[in-house]
Amino acid sequence: MPQSEEITLSKVRGGDRDAFRALVDQHARTVFRLAYRMTGNETDAEDMVQETFLRAWKQIGKFDGRATFGTWLHRICTNCALDHLRLRQRRQAAQPAYHAGEDQSDPVALVAAESPSPERLAMSSQISAILGPALEELTEMERAAFILRHYEGMGIEEISVELGVQPGAAKHSVFRAVQKLRRVLEPAMANSR
Amino acid sequence: MKHLTEEDLVLLYYSEPEAPAHGQLHLRDCPECRGAAESLALTLNVCSEWVVPEPDAELGRSVWAQIAPQLEVQGGSHAKRHWARHLWGRPRPWLWVAPALLALLLGTFYLGRVSKRVESPVMAGLSNAARQRILAISLADHLDRAEMLLTEISNAGDSGAADISSARYRAQDMVDEGRLMRQSLAEQGDTATLALVDEVERFLLEMANSPDNANAAEVQSIRQRIDSGSLLFKVRIIESNLRTEGQKS
Repeated sequence: MPQSEEITLSKVRGGDRDAFRALVDQHARTVFRLAYRMTGNETDAEDMVQETFLRAWKQIGKFDGRATFGTWLHRICTNCALDHLRLRQRRQAAQPAYHAGEDQSDPVALVAAESPSPERLAMSSQISAILGPALEELTEMERAAFILRHYEGMGIEEISVELGVQPGAAKHSVFRAVQKLRRVLEPAMANSR
Repeated sequence: MKHLTEEDLVLLYYSEPEAPAHGQLHLRDCPECRGAAESLALTLNVCSEWVVPEPDAELGRSVWAQIAPQLEVQGGSHAKRHWARHLWGRPRPWLWVAPALLALLLGTFYLGRVSKRVESPVMAGLSNAARQRILAISLADHLDRAEMLLTEISNAGDSGAADISSARYRAQDMVDEGRLMRQSLAEQGDTATLALVDEVERFLLEMANSPDNANAAEVQSIRQRIDSGSLLFKVRIIESNLRTEGQKS
């Protein structure tokens, strides 16, 4: 850990708000990126960022410095996001399925129908429109494991530590996520060709 | 020839150490597996095209503006904005007022003990009765949150196992908050309320130390704890009394 960060952290442990503010400035954007991937929208991502820093402030006494502060924040953000996704899925599960079983209710089919050209599909916004609903098909653990593996470049072992599960469980979460994403994305991609 | 499984292909795509050692060689020689690997790569490469919108350059500042007021009540109410929105449908910013006032009150008591010359200008003008009303309201809010947590647990996972992680985090926050309350109640000699807050704290501690995913037996044990001591009922009664007391002018 850089010496300057150690000094800042020791000030934060002593309750120095200005020092903590410096850490917020330094890490907010990185935390936002992870939060956005996990939640899929900016509003929830911003809530996650706030929640992450609030928990960090509260738990700063537990930070032992074995990892960098950024890594520790990353873990807190992942946990916040997991809580958030669990609640969101529970909320969605409680809502009756709308037009279940009808082709028109499939958001991926709709997006594919509206954006048939591969050029448009290549655009990030289109990718996001297809990928968003696909990611919603995953359980919170599968989503988190996939985001950490695919976008954060973490290995299976690291993911298992981050999510507090056995490596085998982390690996299977990644596998299941990939399988589900393929099931949704491949037909959409085929339709758009 | 034994073909590679989809799991092997995923491990190879991500260059995981667990990927089969012969994988790349096999892909070179087996058109079928190579086709499957290319198809997988195509899909995963599309996922990589998903770009996160660049966060506002002032994000740090806006985050700070949101969290800074809440840092003052560290250990106090952490009825998080999104939990609140989920549970009650809309945020209730007033929930922060009572814990903040309580923190101020406790701070004043502490300073009063340490030095007679130091006195909070805000609390200095308050009578004992006013201070007691503030404490009563804060306690009522604390018990209100405890009641909601107990109700949530009582109704969770009827089929057996349940994910209680969110309740666990809230319980941890409330344990910290409860300590301040107990300290203040002990100073006032309110033994009846103190006994209940103690009982609630023991329950919250148990919750805070539970695993995220409680199995059916654990959920049942937590429910029995709630039912056997009529905890929920007692919390409702004391909370209602405190609320009435706090509203007396």
